[in-house]
Amino acid sequence: MKNYILALASLATATSFAQLTLSNGHHVLELTGEVSAYYNYRELKSGEFDHKKDRFKLRDAQIELEGRVGGDWNYELQVDFADMAAQNNGEEFDPENPGLMEARIKYKGLRFMDVEVGYGKLYYSRASLVPFDYSAFWQRAELVRGSIFSQRDVGITVMKNFWKQRANIYLGAYTGLGEKSLGGDNDPSGNPEFIGRVDVSYPARARFRDIDDRHSPIPLFALGVNGRFMNKKLPDGEVFPTDAYGEYGWKVVDGKRYVYGFDASFMYMGFSGSFEMHQIKAQPQHADDPLFLNTTPDQNHGYVLMGGYVAQLNYFVKSARTILSARYEELDLNDLNPGNSQRISGAIAYQIQGYNAMVKLQYFNIIKEESIDPLKWENQLRLGIQFQFK
Amino acid sequence: MRLFFFATALSVCAVSGLFAQKPTQLKPVSFVSLNVPEPSDICYSAVTKSYFIASDSGYLSETDRDGKVLQQTPLMVSDFEAVATDGEFVYAIDETRRDVYFFNPKTLAIERVVNVPFSGGRNKGYEAMVYNKVKNCWILITEREPVILFEADKEFRITNKVDLSKIATDISAATWYNDAIWLMSDMDMILFKINPKTYAVEGKWYLPVLNPEGITFDENGNLLVTCDDMQRLYYFENPEKK
Repeated sequence: MKNYILALASLATATSFAQLTLSNGHHVLELTGEVSAYYNYRELKSGEFDHKKDRFKLRDAQIELEGRVGGDWNYELQVDFADMAAQNNGEEFDPENPGLMEARIKYKGLRFMDVEVGYGKLYYSRASLVPFDYSAFWQRAELVRGSIFSQRDVGITVMKNFWKQRANIYLGAYTGLGEKSLGGDNDPSGNPEFIGRVDVSYPARARFRDIDDRHSPIPLFALGVNGRFMNKKLPDGEVFPTDAYGEYGWKVVDGKRYVYGFDASFMYMGFSGSFEMHQIKAQPQHADDPLFLNTTPDQNHGYVLMGGYVAQLNYFVKSARTILSARYEELDLNDLNPGNSQRISGAIAYQIQGYNAMVKLQYFNIIKEESIDPLKWENQLRLGIQFQFK
Repeated sequence: MRLFFFATALSVCAVSGLFAQKPTQLKPVSFVSLNVPEPSDICYSAVTKSYFIASDSGYLSETDRDGKVLQQTPLMVSDFEAVATDGEFVYAIDETRRDVYFFNPKTLAIERVVNVPFSGGRNKGYEAMVYNKVKNCWILITEREPVILFEADKEFRITNKVDLSKIATDISAATWYNDAIWLMSDMDMILFKINPKTYAVEGKWYLPVLNPEGITFDENGNLLVTCDDMQRLYYFENPEKK
């Protein structure tokens, strides 16, 4: 036991600000991880008294194993113990923090394309694909954080890059149940979801990053289009697994669902920005589907839309090691219900040690809300620290 | 009101950064596009009068000054990040596996492979190498977090280490010229002239090119820089002429 504790202590010391890499000459394994925690304060609307969100929270307690075997195989396993502990204690499932984050293998041996199999981030939505640790924010925009369409799923993706890695194409098939796919079974329809994405950047290849931390001396641009489709008509009397619908009821649809969107981004001299827009078209098979909001087929024509966009601007103050970010988001959760919601958010992150140790402050403000999604609060502040041993 | 304070704080931080000073800026004289994917480092051989370019994609290429490929290794399972030559061999480091390859400079055949263990990040391993002619040792430098300069003997056995993390966010390349070590920082886009005895910084210049990963000097003292993301070779006048 004593030796075990000593071994753990020496591992903890060795991993301070530097991950560990082990190699036998053929297999290279890297160990990394992250711990982050914050304090959250909500300014409630008058008449609201539930202050349970005013609290300290352990956001991340992650371990990641990433490896390469020979030249053909890559793998990644990433687990967040904070999410698992929260779910074990009866907390509501948060799709942005699902517990198991990545469990996938990539085969590169075909040469003309790579094949990825397993559970992990879906190649849909640039904002979803930017690693969270490289952002000043504590939370992604509502549109892309997994509550409207899934961020992760189990399935297979084939991918290929062209034109000096400036163009990429991703095509895949997945269960369509998103983060709930970890339950094991598919839904009673048994049908998958298909996703495709194409992105192009110029004049250099682009990575999924929000911040221009190099202060690029030339302007860099990237454009992406993506779409996804599922046809999950349930047999009579069958239902989707619990919570599969997601917070707003759009993650799975008893019928056909199309999601399509585009994104554009730039970086130049420390400034960076992105714009991303998505729309969902659902064709539920039953006229009394909750998405129709009790409208008649004459009113809804058999389909219903939701959509929104996110615009974000950032500046990296290199000399002050500080990231400044501001974000505006607009959502229309259901076109059969009049009105939309608008949110803004600002964030500052001070880099004590690059992205590995950052103090982050995020401010949230609800400018306007939809009648079908009333909120208890108007403003929110979140202050905390992220520490990665990477 | 809260929003006002938030906006004010953002503005103060931004303005303080906009007026930060930069070292003397060098302007590229010209550039060529390379037929070497992901060029990560370059060195000049006075013996063959040619250049050797290492590639992240697993190639070692011999080129002329215009970047024309004269010969190239077959695709290898390697992530070459640094290249250097002493005339006898061309040496290239596989950053991921921490292997130093000894290539025959005439045929580009592999003569030997030596492993130099380093347990830091898989993609933050040895990124630069150069022979220190003053201390008669090899120098291997890790990319970042931390930036460590290791001295090694001719068999690449580590004999000393120096932490250079304070001089730059990262180090992406090293070369020898005019009795000094020259280092390149990719993330800061800064070229450093380093004292080979003390490793103190003696000069620095700002290079406005994206992702500069390799540096060398030609026979006339001009600076050549390879850029990975742009797949280009840039030409600069000698920095000390400025």
